[in-house]
Amino acid sequence: MTLDLQTEEKQPLSRDEVLQPLRTLENSKVRTEDLDAWYGNNQVLKKLNIEAREHSVTAIIGPSGCGKSTFIRCLNRMHELVPRAKISGRVILDGSDIYAKGVDPVTIRRRVGMVFQKPNPFPTMSVYDNVAAGLRLNGERNHSVLDRAVQQSLELAFLWDEVKGDLDKSGASLSGGQQQRLCIARALAVEPEVILMDEPCSALDPTATAKIEELIASIKGNYTVVIVTHNMQQAARVSDFTAFLYLGQLIEYGETTSLFENPVEELTERYLTGKFG
Amino acid sequence: MRRFKDRLALWLGALSAMLAMIPLISILYEAVKNGASTLNVDFLTASPGVIGQPGGGIGPAIQGTLVLVGLTVIIGVPLGVLSGIYLSEFGDNPIGRVIRFLNDVLAEFPSVVIGVVIFTLVVLTLRSFSVIAGAFALSIIMLPIVTRSTEESLKLVPNSIRDASMALGIRKWRTTLSVVLATAKSGVVTGILLAIARVAGETAPLVFTILGSQYFFSSLNTTMDALPLRIYRLALLPYPYAQAQGWGAALVLILMVLVINIGVRLATRGRLYSTRSRA
Amino acid sequence: MPRLMDMGLEKLRNMVLDMAELSQNTVSTSIDAYVQGRDLRDRIYSWSEELRMLQDEVSELAVELIARYQPVASDLRFIKSCMEVAYGFSRFGRYAHDISDVIGIFGDLSNCDRQTIQEAGSQAKDMIRVSIKAFTERDVELAGRLKKMDDVVDNIYLDFVKKSAHEREGNLKCVVSGTLILRYLERIADHATYVGETVPYIVSGERSARK
Repeated sequence: MTLDLQTEEKQPLSRDEVLQPLRTLENSKVRTEDLDAWYGNNQVLKKLNIEAREHSVTAIIGPSGCGKSTFIRCLNRMHELVPRAKISGRVILDGSDIYAKGVDPVTIRRRVGMVFQKPNPFPTMSVYDNVAAGLRLNGERNHSVLDRAVQQSLELAFLWDEVKGDLDKSGASLSGGQQQRLCIARALAVEPEVILMDEPCSALDPTATAKIEELIASIKGNYTVVIVTHNMQQAARVSDFTAFLYLGQLIEYGETTSLFENPVEELTERYLTGKFG
Repeated sequence: MRRFKDRLALWLGALSAMLAMIPLISILYEAVKNGASTLNVDFLTASPGVIGQPGGGIGPAIQGTLVLVGLTVIIGVPLGVLSGIYLSEFGDNPIGRVIRFLNDVLAEFPSVVIGVVIFTLVVLTLRSFSVIAGAFALSIIMLPIVTRSTEESLKLVPNSIRDASMALGIRKWRTTLSVVLATAKSGVVTGILLAIARVAGETAPLVFTILGSQYFFSSLNTTMDALPLRIYRLALLPYPYAQAQGWGAALVLILMVLVINIGVRLATRGRLYSTRSRA
Repeated sequence: MPRLMDMGLEKLRNMVLDMAELSQNTVSTSIDAYVQGRDLRDRIYSWSEELRMLQDEVSELAVELIARYQPVASDLRFIKSCMEVAYGFSRFGRYAHDISDVIGIFGDLSNCDRQTIQEAGSQAKDMIRVSIKAFTERDVELAGRLKKMDDVVDNIYLDFVKKSAHEREGNLKCVVSGTLILRYLERIADHATYVGETVPYIVSGERSARK
């Protein structure tokens, strides 16, 4: 039995100090400025100011319907693919607004990759073809380049050993957890800078989930990861920073350990302790 | 009581299915019974003989059907597939809705009316019955079928696939062709083949466009023979040899359609997961 | 709507409150025994033992709640504090045991000046009472008073030791037993302040400096 004795005076954090991370622009890989988003007339996101720091994992948590998925779809310009979807505000990636006039969304999507909730490998393609798809369908023809990219991506996704014996087998013939890792490999193959994950483990069993969490920990050194999760424990395990959203607004943002041990906002406290949502 | 109802439903269903098969089986039976005897290489390759005298064959008719179907496919399939792609991927707007509606209307058009229209537009203008006119007529009949089945097949591809492709930074047209269409491939092909089988048997429009002939195919601008026409002509002649030949021709047409259908099923089953990937 | 964990938290709280009451009685009894010159060692030893076992149980339950429910935020702070507070209460029992040991070793101490010890003792008893009340009611303000009260006990102890250091004569028995007992009371007072410090931590995550 040990007593945890603090040796220095520690004042509770002021609101400014909690929001401090938003104002440090160094290390910020992608951040939003007053981001609003609508589906038709329904406003789903309200003045969001969230940042994701480089080479870290930022978790977005909140009850169902709080706008988490909509939020990350704004980061790679997938939100605008939905009919009647609107957006306002800025999303700054490495210092430039991805929604600025003249910016090609396709180039943004190559820099900001995405993994979806339900694994969605291309059904008519083999494992190899799936991973190579992003490169091939954008014009890469060189076989050795493709071979190398496929192997590296599968290794990063902790899937290489399991499929290297038969890369020609159908992508859809893998198990759920393997399919999701295949999708991650596919996303990694185009060498994005940011990886967005929309509840990547919610369709998977605990073992597969653990594998993917390990994967995330191992790649975060080279990428910036933003993960949406409705599983608070997963956010606590995997992320360095956490943003809590409620009804489209940012309630609290901070380092994961301090947010989970000592949240500033009453609403955050209630959500974390399961008093609602 | 419930089990009895279950059983009753089961038996009724089985009975209905069997009843539904009866016309098909009886047609096949009749065709084989009456026409099989006429089938030989001569019959399949020779021109029709003198009316009234036994002999001759349906060579030109077979060739004609093949040529006609070939031309129809060349004209109708690309147009139909592209329309289907447009309606499925880009058609969620008022224009798309109008096109879809018009397409559905066209699909229900009586084929004889289409034949008459083409007669007026093409045959009269060119002042002759022609293969081109026939191909146009048949492709108009084929078009809505292919469009609809292509659109339906593409719609069956889940949106998550499109999302995945777009999220990789693949452009929309590339996504549509290489991912969505590739996934829906077997459905689209099936639709095309069913349309071909349907169109190969159309008779009424042919009467107004290619008219029929005793001779093999010579040019796109003149008349030509085709199996449905030949069957029609033969069936109307009062001679027994003509009846037999008519059945023979019918049998050939049926077999053509069956071969196309079965052949394609076999071919696309293995191809669902394309394995020609590396190097 | 009650959460799954709430039953466990309630049980934990009750165990800690039981320990609170028991440790308070144990310390009071040991001090009174000294003041009245009675030997209640057996009773005190068994209570102290019981406190130790209760502390183990609290620890077990706390760890079980953490493993099962993965608590966060105020729940986590509460569970952590319960473990610390239970340790404090078991310490009360231990020191009460030590105080009654002194009586056992030194025998008759009725000649000694028991005034000082009585003073320190009653202050310590008060501090225990205050710390328990502050913890039970999560009263941060009440908990804040403990520091000053602790200073009083510290000063009594230091004064006694300083006085004894410079005295030429004096009853050795009284000096040594007095020092020992005051030392134990001083430790009891310290632990009471630690208990008090968990209150702001549970309520708002604040931690204070340790001396």
